Amino acid sequence: MKRMLFINLLTMFVIILSACSSTTNKSDTQQSTTPEKTDTTIAEKIEATAKPKVVSIGIVNSPTTLNQINHQGDSASQTVLGIINDSLLDLTESFEFVPKIAESIESTDNQTFTVKLNPNAKWNDNAPFTTADVAFTLKTALNPKVESTVRIAFVEGLDDAGKIPAGQTEISGLKIIDKQTFEVKSKTPIDPNIFKEKFGTNINFLPEHILKDINPEQLATDPYFQNPTVTIGAFKYSKFAKDQYFEAVRNENYYLDIAKLDKIIVKVLPATNLVAQLQTNEIQLNSLPVGLIPITDYETIKNLPNINLTSSTPSEPAELFFNVTKITDPKVRQAFAYAINRPLIVDQLFKGQADIIDGGVPINHPYYAKETKLYTYDPEKAKQLLQETNWDSQREVSLLVPSGNKLREQAADILVQNLIAVGVNVKIQKFDFSTLIGKVDSGDYDLTIFNRDYYFEPSLYLTLFQSNNENNFLKYNNPQVDALIAQGETETDPAKRLVIYNQLQAILHEDLPALAIYSEKRLQAVSKDIIEGKPANVGQFNNINKWDIKQ
Amino acid sequence: MLPYIVRRLLIAIPVLIGITILNFCIVNLAPGNPVDMFIDPNTPQQLVEAKKEMLGLNDPLIIQYFKWLWQLLQGGFGYSFSSFAPVTHIIGERIGPTLMLTSISLTLGLLIAIPIGILSAVKQNTRFDYIITGLSFIWTSMPQFFLGLGLIYLFALHFKILPTGGMLTIGGDDNFADRIKHLILPVSVLTIAIIGKKIRYVRASMLDVLKQDYLRTARAKGLHAFIVTNKHALRNALIPIITVFGMEIPLLLGGSIIIEQIFQWPGIGQLTMQSILSRDYPTLMGLNFIAAIIVLATNLFMDILYFVADPRVKYN
Repeated sequence: MKRMLFINLLTMFVIILSACSSTTNKSDTQQSTTPEKTDTTIAEKIEATAKPKVVSIGIVNSPTTLNQINHQGDSASQTVLGIINDSLLDLTESFEFVPKIAESIESTDNQTFTVKLNPNAKWNDNAPFTTADVAFTLKTALNPKVESTVRIAFVEGLDDAGKIPAGQTEISGLKIIDKQTFEVKSKTPIDPNIFKEKFGTNINFLPEHILKDINPEQLATDPYFQNPTVTIGAFKYSKFAKDQYFEAVRNENYYLDIAKLDKIIVKVLPATNLVAQLQTNEIQLNSLPVGLIPITDYETIKNLPNINLTSSTPSEPAELFFNVTKITDPKVRQAFAYAINRPLIVDQLFKGQADIIDGGVPINHPYYAKETKLYTYDPEKAKQLLQETNWDSQREVSLLVPSGNKLREQAADILVQNLIAVGVNVKIQKFDFSTLIGKVDSGDYDLTIFNRDYYFEPSLYLTLFQSNNENNFLKYNNPQVDALIAQGETETDPAKRLVIYNQLQAILHEDLPALAIYSEKRLQAVSKDIIEGKPANVGQFNNINKWDIKQ
Repeated sequence: MLPYIVRRLLIAIPVLIGITILNFCIVNLAPGNPVDMFIDPNTPQQLVEAKKEMLGLNDPLIIQYFKWLWQLLQGGFGYSFSSFAPVTHIIGERIGPTLMLTSISLTLGLLIAIPIGILSAVKQNTRFDYIITGLSFIWTSMPQFFLGLGLIYLFALHFKILPTGGMLTIGGDDNFADRIKHLILPVSVLTIAIIGKKIRYVRASMLDVLKQDYLRTARAKGLHAFIVTNKHALRNALIPIITVFGMEIPLLLGGSIIIEQIFQWPGIGQLTMQSILSRDYPTLMGLNFIAAIIVLATNLFMDILYFVADPRVKYN
């Protein structure tokens, strides 16, 4: 007995010791960042004695990577990357471009775009940001041996996958004029907004002076990406503990107005704890789209005295996708649309915090087809259509639902009930996302439901329906749609594009390879202490240097 | 004893290899793969293929396995598919917090469950015994997530004396008191679950021994009741208790997945969940390997403890 007790005490002691040793590690890293601050002026010192201004933001999924050229489509990673990286331009919530690293982007022929950099632009270690960094970033990210999420296949000199062709090192469409000016030439004329979005807002840059000697094949595993201290942004990286938090401190060398906050912390916590921590002021705001407050907490959070609650602009909808090789008749798909009680889903499940739309383009998007007459909830009509098409009520229809998003799962449960009520034998199957995508890609499904990303560029909503797109898991094939998609991509006049996309959306609305179920207006909760700053679907951090909190 | 331990360690090697082969198959058989996570329909197919090639997913399974084994022999688990950080580094960061949480809970559980179990057995069919068996029944039946959320509601939201989760106050000063504060709730939940089950085992095991003749003899020769119970009886009751506590260790590592989710405890439970969902094969294999080592080590440790508790146990 004594011996066992001794062993237990010993293990406990060792563990407490190990916990202490990890603390010392942390203070080591803190020390390594302090030397840069030694030459602060007296005024700053006085300021430093005041309580630091810290804002904590709640998110529910942990960022996986801090690699600014390969965020792997992970929204949580993109969120934290946006705090420490500036792009050439940024987008506001109302879809306006604001200059960041670029002073101006101009084009006379919609094919050659001249980008002038802000002459003051510099990295947070004071090294100037020049066109050499732009060229280095593009050559690195578009190297076929480097995995990256930089997607600018429209630029001349890149292959169809958007990479530099094997055996070449230069990008013919990129011309460096001087240290502050460069030109990008596209393969064909494009809408300037596509250029501004894809090239201007989606690319973050690598510091050439830090990374120039790295072998591209080993880029991803380079320690820099675990610890990206040198970036260009209003804040700079300080600490990251996966599944716990990300911390960034003010960049004192920022080339625009220096940030008002001292520190931003992005905390990872379960959705159920978001409201609890807003209530206890452990976080001051949630984040979109990875810090969604469960709508079930709507009443609770509305009544919190320390929180201002608003609803965001409508977000990318959850869409019901049809495997058109299994459910071939558009009339059957229309019958499904009439059968689903979307008003109930919006009113009961979302407490009214959602819009009903039919297509994938959200309602406030500049290219939303306003003329569309929505499918109403009309079970009688659904039954009638099913009868006309001789639908076999015994036939089993599988609906694949990704698990994780509770509201989407509940919405799927409701729509299953609705479909059963009109005589469709639906079987629901829930899978984790990876499994679901595997099944969907191999065509092993009848119906599935999930959300796509938010795109500013309208063509991105529609390429899914292109017959020669390998990712067209719907197997939808309509030559007219293919032609219009191609036309829309090459048209540069926004007014003419609008006509094309309205036409496209009208055809898809009739043919119905996909039906939007709801477009959620996400809850934005902000502490009353916050003077400036709030969660947003688009351009959340475009003015992060102006964010402020009461002390 | 020593030759026995050496032999056991040698046997552990083929067992471990067998486990890694099984794990490798199971991990790879699970539907979906890391590259399928590319849901963006605008990702060109060439890039998806290039990524598969880069991650070595196009190789036959057996080649993939040997590549993994080769890395292991060189002392590493490779790089994570999602963060590209070395897997040893990722697991190294996480194993400390999990060990801290589980070992403190297990120790507390032992220290509480054994004396209470003994008392409950000695005072069988008294009011004390009824209360303890009743309580342990409630504690065993209560789901951990429910208890966890209940405690968060009570102590973090209502009384506001303890944090809702995490291992330390983020952005605050990192000090010992702060860590203890963060430990209280998760440790309580795990400990309650442990003592709930263990009291019943200890009590039952003691009751069996207390009926034995040699204890009557011990009492008859005038030994103090305290010595009879705690020296003669307890030692003999220990064998089954060691077994159930030993079984508890791997269970604790698995069970803490739920606790770590609720309390945002940055341990390997949370990491396991994340790597399953993102099909991060190298991290998963690393985690499985470590879990296998822990289970094997625990088994060996338990066998040694049997010997310590009861010298009549012979290993040949």
